Amino acid sequence: MLAPKRVKYRKQMKGRTKGHATRGNSVAFGHVGLMTLDPGWITSRQIEAARVAMTRVMKRGGRIWIRIFPDKPITKKPAETRMGKGKGNPEGWVAVVKPGRVMFELEGVSEDVARSALSHAATKLPVKTRIITREDG
Amino acid sequence: MTETLVLVAERRTESGKGSARKLRASGFVPAVVYGHNRETQSLAVAHVELDKVLHRIARGSTVFDLTVDGQTVQALIREIQRHPTKKTVTHLDFYEIHAGESITLDVPITLEGSPEGVRNAGGVLEQFLRALEIEVLPRDIPEHVVVDVTNLGIGRSLHVSDITVPNAKVLSDPHSTICTVVPPRVEEEPVPELAEEEAAEPELIRKAREGEEESEEGEAAGE
Repeated sequence: MLAPKRVKYRKQMKGRTKGHATRGNSVAFGHVGLMTLDPGWITSRQIEAARVAMTRVMKRGGRIWIRIFPDKPITKKPAETRMGKGKGNPEGWVAVVKPGRVMFELEGVSEDVARSALSHAATKLPVKTRIITREDG
Repeated sequence: MTETLVLVAERRTESGKGSARKLRASGFVPAVVYGHNRETQSLAVAHVELDKVLHRIARGSTVFDLTVDGQTVQALIREIQRHPTKKTVTHLDFYEIHAGESITLDVPITLEGSPEGVRNAGGVLEQFLRALEIEVLPRDIPEHVVVDVTNLGIGRSLHVSDITVPNAKVLSDPHSTICTVVPPRVEEEPVPELAEEEAAEPELIRKAREGEEESEEGEAAGE
């Protein structure tokens, strides 16, 4: 699964997600991509699940680009713990996405296969998505 | 020379995001036209008209007959700004061209044929360069640069230096790779040590503050 190798701080604040993606909002590497329509956090497990789903549909052909990276640590308190006593321990990593962000791109397979692969990937993600092509802008 | 399309635009006097938003709400798209030896002019183009022409052209290399207040000039689209999710056009840049002046523009590259490495060895054709920067007279602007990839085997690439565009000077780096045929991907083995990987925390770039680790251990013990 994707995770940073080195970080400056172990824990981060939640933050708020406002506005649209002003960068990474068009298909840049492949010929078709999966764009999020919602803001949200995509965990490294979800990214991996989506990648595996796409790989299965594409079998051995084609190439996948993952254009998001989970660089935000998420903390969690242990079960049956009273509130307080400080922030919990890091439990995983998420990528923060804003509407318009192209998360995955595909190349080297037919458009039908690419669309099918991206639809399968979309079911693994906690956001509404749309499949876009390079011609869509 | 590529096909010429006709587009009628209105002069726009107000500027700024407020007036641009009102304009978009009324079915127009704010635009601007600029070029050599002319004043930059703010325009408004009807959204319906624009939609009709935009989906059937090569956007960077199609010459428009742009009519503003009865005056017609020849122009290229230099930039299209789109809404991040709706993908509707939010702003357009037109660049006025003159018949005798050569211009620099990006022409889309179209790959033709199925490479030998894909047909026979199951390779994947990867395209790295999608547009070619050329200097050309307006009458010689090609709509696409067509590149034949039929003879490409596994591991073979095409570079900018391998192609020629008639009546044009290629400005892109000749060493740039246009496309390559890569070998088929090997199925990845599942990684068995996922649990360990999850548990491992990344190394800190900064030094841990004194007592940071101790206090956290203390907290855990307190819970």
